[in-house]
Amino acid sequence: MTTKVLICDDSNMARKQMSRALPDNWPTDVTFAKNGQEAIDIIKAGGQELMFLDLTMPVLDGYQTLEAIRKDDLPIMVIVVSGDIQPEARERVKKLGAIEFIKKPVDQSKISSVLSEYGMIGGDDA
Amino acid sequence: MPEVTALTEDERDCYQEITNVAMGQAADRLARLLGVYVVLPIPNVNIIERSEFKMTIKSLEDAPSVSAVCQGFIGAGVAGEALLIFNDASFKDISQLLKYSQTQTQEEELEMLMDVANVLNGACIQGIGKQLDINFSQSHPVILGRHRPINELLDEKHATWQRTMAIEINYTIEDHNINCDLLLLFTEESVHHMNRLISFLLED
Repeated sequence: MTTKVLICDDSNMARKQMSRALPDNWPTDVTFAKNGQEAIDIIKAGGQELMFLDLTMPVLDGYQTLEAIRKDDLPIMVIVVSGDIQPEARERVKKLGAIEFIKKPVDQSKISSVLSEYGMIGGDDA
Repeated sequence: MPEVTALTEDERDCYQEITNVAMGQAADRLARLLGVYVVLPIPNVNIIERSEFKMTIKSLEDAPSVSAVCQGFIGAGVAGEALLIFNDASFKDISQLLKYSQTQTQEEELEMLMDVANVLNGACIQGIGKQLDINFSQSHPVILGRHRPINELLDEKHATWQRTMAIEINYTIEDHNINCDLLLLFTEESVHHMNRLISFLLED
């Protein structure tokens, strides 16, 4: 079964790094957004299941995006991926509804262990 | 060696993202030192001419007086300077957070400036180095000037370079009146070398 994944980051390089860090044998359909507003529009159009969300972005940053998702009760799971490794940042995004926080630069094993923890991939894939 | 006059959009994006990760690590160190939350900006990355130097410091241009520390760094094929510029209005809040006395002496203020510079510059430079696989050595921080208008401090007549890659990070601290700019200036030769290094990161 293919999972619909949305990757939201203002950096083209970070978007590529993120999509490369997804488990090789995990069937996904990946969509990209350059800022939070683009992501919200894509989520509202429907079908997305999981979003990897950066924090520091123009237009609508990661915190504002999480607030918008909560306000409209949009059906999507969010994993924040950020270089902002202050403990406060992690706490804030969890409070705003993110299921997990992964620090940049991302690595494949961390992504795999988080995905298997949430049952999105089988233990064998991790 | 050809002149570096501009970065491609991919190169700029890559430096911005590398800086983003490094400044996050630096902010984490500062947040722990001061017990605060550091607001992270989107870093500005530009190739600038000497004459454009002052214009890069937009976020502090309204500050009546500033103090600055500079610190050189050098690694395999890459050299530059980190310039940390404080809005002088920040000192009152920093001294409170570091639990210095209300009426601080010149020496205490100097110590504070050096402490924060060590944390921010060091973590940021090493963070960039780590991602590019460069082991940077840093020189001791040196006071560039204290309590002076920014125009005087950044007098381009003193600059030895013609063109540089400037990365500007404006740190602010939530709920406090603290504002500083970290400028990373890389020599033109370094940019050639770094462009080769990041080309591997940019491959599809």
